[in-house]
Amino acid sequence: MSRFFFDGEPIEAQPGDTVASALYRAGRRIFTRSFKYHRPRGLLCLSGHCPNCMMNVDGVPNVRACVTPAREGMRVRHQNAWPSLEQDWLSAAQHFDSLMPVGWYYKTLTHPSAWHVAEPWIRKVAGLGDPPPPDAPPREYEHAFLQAEVAVVGGGPSGIAAAFEAASGGAQVILIDDQPEPGGHLRYTRPGEAPASIAQLRGQPNVELLARAYCFGLYEGGLLGVLQADPHPGAHERLVHLRAKRVVVATGAYEVPLLFENNDLPGILLSGGARRLLFLHRIVPGRRCVIVGIGARAEDLASDLRGAGIEIVSLISPDEVLGAVGSTRVEGLRFRGGSVTCDLIVVCGPLLPDAGLLSQAGARLAWSAAHGAFLPADLPPHVTAVGRVTGSGLEPAVPLPPGEVRAGKRHFVCLCSDVTSQDLVDGISEGFEHIETLKRYTTATMGPCQGRMCQLPAIGICARETGRTMGETGTTTARPPSPSVTLGALAGPRHHPVRRTPMHYQHEALGAVWLDMGAWKRPRYYRTAESSEERRCVQGEYQAVRERAGMIDVSTLGKLEVRGRDAGRLLDKVYTNRFSDLRPGRVRYCVICDDAGIMLDDGTISSIADDHYFLTTTTGNLEFVEQWLEWWLAGTGWDVHITNLTGGLAAVNLAGPQARDVLAGLTGLDVSAKAFPYMACRQALVADIPAILLRIGFVGETGWEIHVPAESGEDLWKALLEAGKAFGIRAFGVEAQRLLRLEKQHVIVGVDTDALTSPYEADMAWVVKLEKNDFIGKAALSRAAGDPREQLVGFVMQEDGVPDDGSAVVMDGRPAGRVTSSRFSPREGRAIGLAWVPAGLAGEGAEIRVRVQGRPLLARVTRRPFYDPEGARLRM
Amino acid sequence: MSFLLRCPHCGDRSVYEFRFGGEVKPRPAPGASEEEWVNYAYNRTNSAGVQTEWCYHRSGCRQWIKAVRNTRTNEVLETFYPEENAR
Repeated sequence: MSRFFFDGEPIEAQPGDTVASALYRAGRRIFTRSFKYHRPRGLLCLSGHCPNCMMNVDGVPNVRACVTPAREGMRVRHQNAWPSLEQDWLSAAQHFDSLMPVGWYYKTLTHPSAWHVAEPWIRKVAGLGDPPPPDAPPREYEHAFLQAEVAVVGGGPSGIAAAFEAASGGAQVILIDDQPEPGGHLRYTRPGEAPASIAQLRGQPNVELLARAYCFGLYEGGLLGVLQADPHPGAHERLVHLRAKRVVVATGAYEVPLLFENNDLPGILLSGGARRLLFLHRIVPGRRCVIVGIGARAEDLASDLRGAGIEIVSLISPDEVLGAVGSTRVEGLRFRGGSVTCDLIVVCGPLLPDAGLLSQAGARLAWSAAHGAFLPADLPPHVTAVGRVTGSGLEPAVPLPPGEVRAGKRHFVCLCSDVTSQDLVDGISEGFEHIETLKRYTTATMGPCQGRMCQLPAIGICARETGRTMGETGTTTARPPSPSVTLGALAGPRHHPVRRTPMHYQHEALGAVWLDMGAWKRPRYYRTAESSEERRCVQGEYQAVRERAGMIDVSTLGKLEVRGRDAGRLLDKVYTNRFSDLRPGRVRYCVICDDAGIMLDDGTISSIADDHYFLTTTTGNLEFVEQWLEWWLAGTGWDVHITNLTGGLAAVNLAGPQARDVLAGLTGLDVSAKAFPYMACRQALVADIPAILLRIGFVGETGWEIHVPAESGEDLWKALLEAGKAFGIRAFGVEAQRLLRLEKQHVIVGVDTDALTSPYEADMAWVVKLEKNDFIGKAALSRAAGDPREQLVGFVMQEDGVPDDGSAVVMDGRPAGRVTSSRFSPREGRAIGLAWVPAGLAGEGAEIRVRVQGRPLLARVTRRPFYDPEGARLRM
Repeated sequence: MSFLLRCPHCGDRSVYEFRFGGEVKPRPAPGASEEEWVNYAYNRTNSAGVQTEWCYHRSGCRQWIKAVRNTRTNEVLETFYPEENAR
């Protein structure tokens, strides 16, 4: 015995109870209110197919209560009714049904303003559950990847037999069943007669049973999408990507309602629903029952219900039925030539093959009058179907051909979105004669049941109204996922990979404020004892670099080693400048273009030896550059080996007028300008750590980029901080770095350039060596070398205001270019930046207007770096 | 798209382990005409049928391979390492 809460009221549940069965036992008969008219709806199929029992369970909307096991402490709430399911004021909607014929919103809400007024009301009245609020406690979902030789979908008698047969032949088998126990329909049609093969199956070591799991998609390559509920206490749902060589579909058949007036009243059950209540939950669903059905199925049902003590008042053929009587629950049934009173109507509805998966996988669905159903045909080679899904053992539930079309405003075809047979007839008369257009116009088959309940009657009405056969009318298209899948399960685990540099915790101790760059965490700036305000902190860091010394963690840079006899040859081919003549101990700035001449990345290449180069790439492009180099290498037969060292190396950029003094205290290497000039590289010990030192200067000061093994990164960082203390060194973040480089007009590829930028337009003609034999991009660049249409230029604001990155450059009131980066420069005392302008405005000193907060402010173009234009400080 | 691709090194793998590298196109000779270069840089055959394409086994051996695939059915007819001296 357990207890859960429905709308705050405690409900007792017995072992084996679902939320729906426990509520039914406690006397609840209305489980939902319908989508449009707010009609009361009760349990119907009890198999998770129809929309009649969707509730909010523990904050998750649209949970089918009939297949959700009741658990201690669950909080269940009703949906789409106000104030309660019994007293729903919104049910007044059904009195206005004449105002809301099929497609009424297409016809009446034609003006945009009308829709905007109506939309919030429609959303309130019509609809399903509410999404969980943003502050709801998150749920855990997980993904699993499984493989099997044979996957069997469906744990009924046919699925069990197929799994057993495959397993006996030695195959690795996974059996997927949506019920808590295997057995399929035998569990409620022949209770207590579970086939012996279930026990045998459990004894097979090469069979894995996924219980309470359903297959929602059968994709190419034998991939099955499977959703498993409650795989273990730590996870709410698990999405299984199951790859199988062979797939056996044994999904069986499901039952759908019949069409008569008020066929949606609570108290009308499908025969399978009545049997499930009786045999799975030991609940007697009524006293006086009318059975609607024909043949042996109806007779069997009658004897089962009698056995439970239910009085069978009458057994009526479906084509005799006119309508059910009652307002909020069944009180009787009208039929040709009379009526009876009753409190329960059990309908032997058509049993249809559950062939959606087969249809998704490419099978054709062909109408069979002998079975009264569309049967799968032409299965793909790796898929087989067994059991009732093939139509075996199925026969029409209504006398065929059917009588006249029952068009009525209370004959519900689609329970999900309240589409009546009258709506379908009206839609057809308005010209929507094709089953696919009729579906889209009326929304029949488009609700949560995904057409399971309504497709056959909709096709039947369409066929008769248009004078076609069922086969000619055809079915709508089956698409995955079906049944539906929660977004949480698709999204998977709430796990966001984060990359931290080896010095991460040093930054944290220094008060870093973080910036996300891809998966990396980088310090944006550091809070100090004096201030945590970004502008002041950045200014302090900036001054340290310009006046004393600064250090920044650049471990996130891509780092590649390229070795081999033909290494220089590959770099010559891929990069726009020349590398085969780069002497060991020298560094060169480098740019990669594609064959359209577009700049893809930049970085540095250092020659360690004639057949050994050390490359850096931008933080975000490492993977691309590595694959690009490998691609141009593929199939050449050249002797080149590329190794990605990014995770293995930490790096610090030490820069500033006193950087040399800081470094000299930590290494025996001669770091004088003569012995270690600008654009040189050396290998040496720094703070007793083996390091590669590159003398380069992104920020425009004398500086070294020091690469060391990742495990020594923290030691290097601490040693530099300690050695720099006497010189007033400061760690600086990405924000200060961006300002410092902007004063030098150093571009950041991907920030200042875009997917159309050539080096000429970026004002970097010097990186292209057109006299080189051949390189990627040469043909395009030789043609682009002439006069670019646009140019990336520096600018200084002549009025107060700092443009946002991306602000428009305007000419005669019209956008003519855009700002890519802009910052307030403490040195200039105003904002500076880089911007794209038309070639005509790119001359030195040209006046442009930049839109800052809506106002076009004057700025002046300058193509000379703002700071140290000759680069003297870099070479000091 | 959920078909399997046979990596010559790793065997049958989900296509999601691979980066698609586009159709295989011969790169024009350095002195080729502008038209040839424009065609190479900007135009794609976009075959409805069998095409040879580049694939990079990103989540596996990290090598570039070539695959012959029917773009209508996703049937992979053949996969192989790029031929020696092919470019």
